Amino acid sequence: MQLDLKTIEALAPDQASLGAAAKLTKRSNWPRLETNEQFGLIWGECQGSGSNPYRVAFDTRDHGYKCTCPSRKFPCKHILGLMWIGATAPASFDRVDQTPEWVNDWLGRRRKPGQPPMQAPASSEGKSIDEAERPEQSAPVEDAAAAERREAAQRKRAEDTRSAVSAALDELDQWIADQLRLGLAGFVDSCSERCRRIAARLVDLKATALAGRIDELPARLMALRSEEKPDAAIRELGKLVVLAKAWRAAPDDAELKRLVSTSETRDQILGNPDAVQVESDWEVLGEKIETRRDGLVSHATWLLDLKSPTPRFAVLLDFFPASAGRRSGAFAPGDRFKARLVFYPSRNPLRALVAERLGDAAPGNWPAFAPDATCDPLAAYAAFQDGAPWLSDCPIILPAGAIALDEKDGAWWQAASDPHGIALPVAGSVSQTLLGLDLAATAALWNGARLELLASQSSIGRLDLS
Amino acid sequence: MNELEQAGLARLRDGWISGGAMFEIAPVAWKEVAAASSPDEQERRLLAIAAQALDVALRPAAPKSLKRRPPLPVLALPTLPERLRPLLRAALKYAADARLKTRVATLVASRGFVLHPMDWMPAASYQESPDVYAPWVDWQAGADGEKQSRREHLTAETWDDFYPAARRTALVDLRRTMPALARTLIETKGASEPAEVRLALIELMRFGLGADDVPFLKSLSADRSGKVREMAGRLLARLGERGPIDGGTDDPTAELAAFIEEGKSGFIRRRTTYAPIKIKSPAQQARRADLFVSCYFRDLASHFGKTESDFIGAWQFGVDDSADLFLVRMVSVSGSDVAVACLADLLVAAGGKLALLVLQLMLRLDGGRKRVLIRQILNDAQNLAALNLVEGADAGWLEWGDLTKGKTISALRSAVSGDNDVTKRSAEQYLEAIGFLANPVTAEKLIGEVVATGLPPASPSLSLLRLNAALAENPSKSDR
Repeated sequence: MQLDLKTIEALAPDQASLGAAAKLTKRSNWPRLETNEQFGLIWGECQGSGSNPYRVAFDTRDHGYKCTCPSRKFPCKHILGLMWIGATAPASFDRVDQTPEWVNDWLGRRRKPGQPPMQAPASSEGKSIDEAERPEQSAPVEDAAAAERREAAQRKRAEDTRSAVSAALDELDQWIADQLRLGLAGFVDSCSERCRRIAARLVDLKATALAGRIDELPARLMALRSEEKPDAAIRELGKLVVLAKAWRAAPDDAELKRLVSTSETRDQILGNPDAVQVESDWEVLGEKIETRRDGLVSHATWLLDLKSPTPRFAVLLDFFPASAGRRSGAFAPGDRFKARLVFYPSRNPLRALVAERLGDAAPGNWPAFAPDATCDPLAAYAAFQDGAPWLSDCPIILPAGAIALDEKDGAWWQAASDPHGIALPVAGSVSQTLLGLDLAATAALWNGARLELLASQSSIGRLDLS
Repeated sequence: MNELEQAGLARLRDGWISGGAMFEIAPVAWKEVAAASSPDEQERRLLAIAAQALDVALRPAAPKSLKRRPPLPVLALPTLPERLRPLLRAALKYAADARLKTRVATLVASRGFVLHPMDWMPAASYQESPDVYAPWVDWQAGADGEKQSRREHLTAETWDDFYPAARRTALVDLRRTMPALARTLIETKGASEPAEVRLALIELMRFGLGADDVPFLKSLSADRSGKVREMAGRLLARLGERGPIDGGTDDPTAELAAFIEEGKSGFIRRRTTYAPIKIKSPAQQARRADLFVSCYFRDLASHFGKTESDFIGAWQFGVDDSADLFLVRMVSVSGSDVAVACLADLLVAAGGKLALLVLQLMLRLDGGRKRVLIRQILNDAQNLAALNLVEGADAGWLEWGDLTKGKTISALRSAVSGDNDVTKRSAEQYLEAIGFLANPVTAEKLIGEVVATGLPPASPSLSLLRLNAALAENPSKSDR
């Protein structure tokens, strides 16, 4: 590895980036650090502020780099951090012969392979490694009166927010009543415009999470057949009524606050002693990437706990601006890894953060927890709704079955042995190949109207369906 | 949810669709829960109850007419091991079109594996897939669910049990092993098929074509389809028989011969030569082209009193490139096997651009001669793009010595290390082509060679070579 601190200093876009990178040089921030000396590559996974670690790679021969974080600084602090470790503690990198697929993908896409090293900026003026390494000056000690003023201000802000959200929910209630009075046929027809208006009001009144959900309602309705839309509208508006009532009953409830106004930060979740923590082997079932109307891309990575006796899921949820372009995730469907996850407090804990990566897990089949034919495949969904009737997407494991087509070529999942006569409509179109395969078990998201397939186990192995 | 509540929910739903207050028509039990001081609040509460009922108590009504496809047939080879699927997917991603993707499948099949159906499926319309995929081709073609292409032997009785692709594969096998039996089947079952299918069946007669086929082929001179008669005529010509020629009473072979002049060469041993005469007009050019297509090669050679091989030996290649091309195509279509072999050997020995004319003979060449051609192309390294034009070549046999003997390696080295992007991209295509042809050792060595020269080790153009090398434990059948 031919890296020195002067190169890092020269490549850094500004002093602030160097300062931020200095904080990332602790080994504990990097669950994985590897190098392939033959190819002059170093790469790693850095735990940033998202739920997924960022994948960071650097080519020491030509100073090319890649990071999956959404930063608009190039190179970002993660790249600088990786280089910094490479320059000062090369022994931290595990030496491997094979480069992982995501590094190969990046190398393959690079525009000018084999070019000589990029010329560093003409000077390192205004940037200093020494400055970045210097410990930050500690904040002046706050006197008791100032602390009290700050806390009072915080309480005031919280009270103001609560009042604003309460007013937002009053407006939402009135809006829902208006939709019923005017008729859902009209609502379905002009859903986009009506939802946009109330969502804007909710944003003004600090109910931002709720606004985002209502903004997505038109897209959910659009995906359905016209005869299904009124039922879907009743279902979603009814859930909003329940959510509003639940928040009024418990405005400090963490889950309800997250669904109505704002979410906790990563540090708050990791520092929460009541947050559920699960150390296990996890398989990446699939990904769901959606561009939202507010310009953000939501990237959900669904995981299955491979050691749990009953199906247990987790979802790693990240948001980044659509303008940042396509962003690859830290995991690919089918990946298996050992990790300690911390779940956001919830009645049905699903959203989680990777607190610690503990290496790779062995490949294999899912545990045999798929319910047998006598069980109701939607029993898990009913229990999920009992706990949190305001939620929609529920991950489930379906028993042995297959995909069949209706007269309009719509796809349905149908149980192989079907005492309940249940068939569930599948969202979107499916691969023709899937229609000829027997599915031993299927992981999917059920929202009461459509099944979104994530992955299946079959006689020819795992099928990635997301 | 009981029936009363279901009916109540349906009324609420219909009411809300058109708009208005629905509290009064709600089920009694729901009204008790939803009662409130404000009418709006009552409606919202009813809405919440209805939403829960729709979510949990009602299930989607499954249509009675749900149809399942027949199970995807299990193929005769095992599926590629899971650990190799990332390499395979990379190779498929790099392969630009269906033909190149099929080539990846052919390489893998030569090593004893089939691809995972979610990674690649042969298209129903594409006949060049390896034979092992015939059951999937038929499955793709949309079977009616009752036929099963699982009969081991194709006979007149089992004819209808085979789907077209499986039947084609079985007939080709049969023509190679028991040509008379296959001919009888084509004769008896083909008669009732439409012209398009009949033509495809007659075309299969080229496999294992022999003198015993002559009576049947001659009988086709009375076939209803002109295309079938034409095909039969060409096959007969290959066997040295004169086939039926549609057209007027004039002798087209004599007309074609008029475009060729006889000459002499050599001082001591005077020998006869044949060369195309100089064409004077585009109309003449077009007429000559038509005649080369419609006449049979044996008839042309006979017109000059020569055997097919003697005529080929006497032809003056290089005088008129388009006449050379027409002649080679003519031999390919109606020349005997001996004539095809003689012409291929002559052209490969000539090397340079003449060797590339052998590409016109691909359908008639055996695997051995295709290998000779490929070695010639590699040796010259002037036209490596022609590697991609060698149709039906065996997979996985090319040895390291075949690359190092000629100029291929140095050409690849200079392309990869140079600054010219166009040359680089071409070199990457050659690497893909060699990725199909090479044996695992060659693949491994070539990767090392080009990476040492400067190609990024993870370049997608190396993906087929990498897959090939990773399949080292399973040498290709053609390489054993």
